[in-house]
Amino acid sequence: MRRLEVVAARFGVAPWRARFLSAWALALLLGGGACCVAGAAYRRLPRPEPLEELSYYPSGRHLRLVAIGHPETAADLAWLRAVQYYGEHRETDMRFARMRHVFDILTTLAPDFVPAYVFGGFALAQEGRDVDGGARLMLKGVEANPMSGLMAFELGFFYYVRPGGRDLARAGEYFEQASRQADAPPQAARMAAFAHQNAGNLAVAYELWRAVLDRSPNRYLREMAERQMKLIRRALTQGRLELAIKRLGVPQIVVRGRP
Amino acid sequence: MNTLLIARNTFREATRDRVLAGVLAAGLVLLAATQVLSPLALGEGRRLTVDLGLSGVSILGLMVVLLVGTSLVAKELERRTIFNLLSRPIARSSYLVGKWLGLSSALWVLAGFMSLALCLVLATHGAGSFAPGVAEAAYLTGLELMVVTALAVLFSALSTPVLSALYTLGFYLVGQWSYDLRSFGEHLPTVAGRLVGMIADLAPNLPLFNARAIAAGGHLTSLHHLGFATLYALLYAGCVLSLATAAFESRDFK
Repeated sequence: MRRLEVVAARFGVAPWRARFLSAWALALLLGGGACCVAGAAYRRLPRPEPLEELSYYPSGRHLRLVAIGHPETAADLAWLRAVQYYGEHRETDMRFARMRHVFDILTTLAPDFVPAYVFGGFALAQEGRDVDGGARLMLKGVEANPMSGLMAFELGFFYYVRPGGRDLARAGEYFEQASRQADAPPQAARMAAFAHQNAGNLAVAYELWRAVLDRSPNRYLREMAERQMKLIRRALTQGRLELAIKRLGVPQIVVRGRP
Repeated sequence: MNTLLIARNTFREATRDRVLAGVLAAGLVLLAATQVLSPLALGEGRRLTVDLGLSGVSILGLMVVLLVGTSLVAKELERRTIFNLLSRPIARSSYLVGKWLGLSSALWVLAGFMSLALCLVLATHGAGSFAPGVAEAAYLTGLELMVVTALAVLFSALSTPVLSALYTLGFYLVGQWSYDLRSFGEHLPTVAGRLVGMIADLAPNLPLFNARAIAAGGHLTSLHHLGFATLYALLYAGCVLSLATAAFESRDFK
């Protein structure tokens, strides 16, 4: 600092002015560096989905703003409220008019909150009688968590037991997606094969059973896979697909009050 | 050397302040509250504990900055103790950096205590595996508080405590929305977009210091993230302290 003042004095600049100017120069240098780092971090690091439609669409996205950097805490409070809402109405009038909105806000605040999608999806479909809403919420969960085997498995299971009718083809698709992820439940591959087989996609089912046969450490499952593959081969060679396709019953989970 | 002496005194002053003790007590009460709320969370009590615990560190730390940090210089001016200090061969920059360092150290201690308490609560629930994630999130929160403290020191050197607190809070809010501003700017016409982008650049990019959701999921953030955040905190705090020095140099205490 002294050296700076000496140099400044040589040019006829007052010491305090030299310190003032050097502080500004340092501030500009460090500020420029900080801007570069912030820009690089913004581009390179993963971050929550920003508020692209800021102030245009009334939805849970606005709450992210109000949460001033603590959306996960706001999501926890929303989760407590969602559970209370579900419990209150389940005990009383069985009317869940706001449930879709509550879970939409919650999952917008915490896009990685997998249990909220699963609970909300099933609650909407079963008690809320909003099967499409439940499916949409769970699809939002799969989109936000593409690497979550658990989320994909739960969506597969949703389609497998969907109130009002199973959708085995979609169930098989999501079970298969789940089976490719590290955190998938161990039964995902078997469920994928089973769903595809009973949806009539015998060729796909055959390959999935083969994967179970090759990879499963469970002897019982390998035997089951062998049996199913034999059955599919017979059905395909005889041209009688019904031999390999079970007629599954109506799902146990049914929408209340619906015929 | 002078800087460290001032830092030590500021640290001592801050830790003896009742505000810090009160905030620490509030943090422990908040942790206890998470234990009461956990059974209502339908199996997500652990997540709730981590989220609220870490948010508590951040919000209570901000309170300390607003209550203590914004009056750091004003208090010395009011008591006229600053004249004793600055009449000695102590550079004004050393004085400000010392103040910042002292209060930042006190905040690190606060963040350390609260995150340790959080880890203990988690360990008693058999969730000790969350501790590394919590430690990372607490480290980032410490960096965030360092940046906010630098802003508080800047405003404290320029204005009254109340106005300093308001300015610091304003910067904190804009900083929390900086990523949204950047994203918003990308969708605006060129000139307006650049203007919004510049505002986002000037504001402290505080979302960079948020790893609370990652910790609540039981995961760890990347070394990249920690590196970027550390570098950014040092550069931004350095820039703000240099501005504070420039402002302080031009102040006449006669």
